Amino acid sequence: MKASSLFGPSRLRPPAFAPVLGVGHFGHALALAMALQLLAFALAADAKPVMQWSGTDIAGEGSLVAMAAVWLAQLRASRPGGRVTDWLCVGLAGLLLGQWADLLDEFWRLPKAVVWDNVLESTLLPLGALCLTIGLHHWRLEQRALGEQLVKRERLFREHRSVDAVTQLGDAGYMAAQIAIEQQQGRPGALVMLALEDGVGEGAGEGAGTLAGIARDHGLAEADRLLQALTHLLLLNLRAQDLLCRYAGDRFCVLMPGIAGTDAAAAAAAHLAGAVASLAHHGAAGLCVRPHARAVAMSIDPALPPQDQLLALARRLAV
Amino acid sequence: MSVGDLQLGAALCPPPGAAVYQLGTRCLPWDHQASLVLEFARSRGVEPAVLLEAAGLAPAASISPRELLALLAALQRLMPDADTPFVLGQLSLPGHCGLPSHALAQADDLRAALRLLCAHSARLSPLLTPRLIERPDELILVWTDACGLGAAQRGFVVDMQMSAVTALCRWRGGQVLPWRYSFNRTRPRDLAQHAVFLGADLRFGCQFDAMRLPLSAPMRWPAGHGMAAAALASGADPASGARGLLAALYDWLLPRHREAPPLDAAAAAFGVSAATLKRHLAAHGTHYQAEVDLVRGHVALYLMLLEGRGSEAVAAALGFQDRSNFRRSFKRWTGLLPALIR
Repeated sequence: MKASSLFGPSRLRPPAFAPVLGVGHFGHALALAMALQLLAFALAADAKPVMQWSGTDIAGEGSLVAMAAVWLAQLRASRPGGRVTDWLCVGLAGLLLGQWADLLDEFWRLPKAVVWDNVLESTLLPLGALCLTIGLHHWRLEQRALGEQLVKRERLFREHRSVDAVTQLGDAGYMAAQIAIEQQQGRPGALVMLALEDGVGEGAGEGAGTLAGIARDHGLAEADRLLQALTHLLLLNLRAQDLLCRYAGDRFCVLMPGIAGTDAAAAAAAHLAGAVASLAHHGAAGLCVRPHARAVAMSIDPALPPQDQLLALARRLAV
Repeated sequence: MSVGDLQLGAALCPPPGAAVYQLGTRCLPWDHQASLVLEFARSRGVEPAVLLEAAGLAPAASISPRELLALLAALQRLMPDADTPFVLGQLSLPGHCGLPSHALAQADDLRAALRLLCAHSARLSPLLTPRLIERPDELILVWTDACGLGAAQRGFVVDMQMSAVTALCRWRGGQVLPWRYSFNRTRPRDLAQHAVFLGADLRFGCQFDAMRLPLSAPMRWPAGHGMAAAALASGADPASGARGLLAALYDWLLPRHREAPPLDAAAAAFGVSAATLKRHLAAHGTHYQAEVDLVRGHVALYLMLLEGRGSEAVAAALGFQDRSNFRRSFKRWTGLLPALIR
């Protein structure tokens, strides 16, 4: 996998629009359809004199057309292509075209014999709405599937500003907020923090197995990939109700609700450290790192501020 | 002037006559700090072209400290992650800055490395000038402005440089050294990054940005051969000893802390008119009296905290006739009364 694909597109590039029904130029096709509608009106209908234009109708219907176009663009910019995107975009396109016909009506009067404009309006709008509804239903199912992937990465609430860019885990602030919730509820729980120690890296130099050593010898992208591998490994070794966050640097922290007593917490910590020790991470150019982790644990203190508890764990690891 | 004062002056300042660079001086070769920042951004998914555009920069042979600050400001905007200054710092020393970087990587021991860092800060730390105080029981690295830093970027650059030195020591020594950190700013809400990248001994709301290392701890350091350092000593890279304008003024004021010379004298020493020096200082976001106060405040704190002198002795060392005048001035420099410092 290339490094750039791990982090998604760069943060300031203009948005790439998702294809709809496999068509990359869906926007252009839509614009063409609108132009054809316009042409049909211009050829078949009589223009209304300006005196008969209704300002409020034009403003109302025109703004709906504009909004539908904006929603469509935002949807395509923020979603990957696929079934849900197809339904939602086709639905919005239907609404857009129906509304467009409605708007053109304000400028041209069609002869009584012409019925296609009524057909256009009365089929496109409800069909579009139907597609949109189906899309929303599939979206909910999709969210449920995605939510399962996020178990152990987030609990109770979502805060996108607290998501670490490298590992997609919550950060120290998110963990502190979660500990505070546990404190309010008065539930017992354990906190575990892990740090990488100098392991065995097949490369020369001191600290070859530490994150900073790997970044120095093999580049930051390689160190970030090790962090991602560790994230996956730790997630696999947690219960569904546990929460994994990235504290900072090479430190991970885990909130384990319901684990009471120092012995149980220490056992959980030892298990996680053992899991890390079993990892052989293969990087680019024959790099193989067998990381070692040290883990410390404590029971959640009901009185101490969460940030201080995490800091205390970090201090214990620093010694 | 007492023995302690003399030591302080000699330790903190380079020999006089170093070249001076200003915020706008294009003294930083592109392949030093600028390409480091761009490479860091690239490996975290921000295209160099995007970063350069956000900073309003175009590739050039050299950039100025002001342009480097603009590049860092753009980085802060595009990558607001809390670990950005720390990871960038980790990657920045010994760095790719020619002979000084080689010398740093080949240094014989920690003390030699820190001395090299201070002597060649124009290459190794052009925005923030490190000054090493070597005491019998500890080493203190004090960071002062080279060319001035805006309040919005000061914390970022201080964190970056402290992380750089910490990571360098850890890399060469293969162990975590018991550095203690003081920050001249309020405590951030979350200390996670500081605790992990620097260390657990953190103090905020101090008068200095400084790192202290007790010498009681055993220090491993692989022996180096010092070839690059020898070349530097024979003058192979004279520009590496240049000083930022504010650092140069600090160098000049420190041995003169007692008399606090007027602006005219400083301007004459730098070979410019008083009006020109005034204008230059304004362009660096400060003025002459503020710099005099900074130096005198630092000397007072040094004498009180490290030499254990009483108010009376400190007042005398700074040329005050009576204690109440000193108390008033000290309050203005540090916001505290001398009695509260202990």
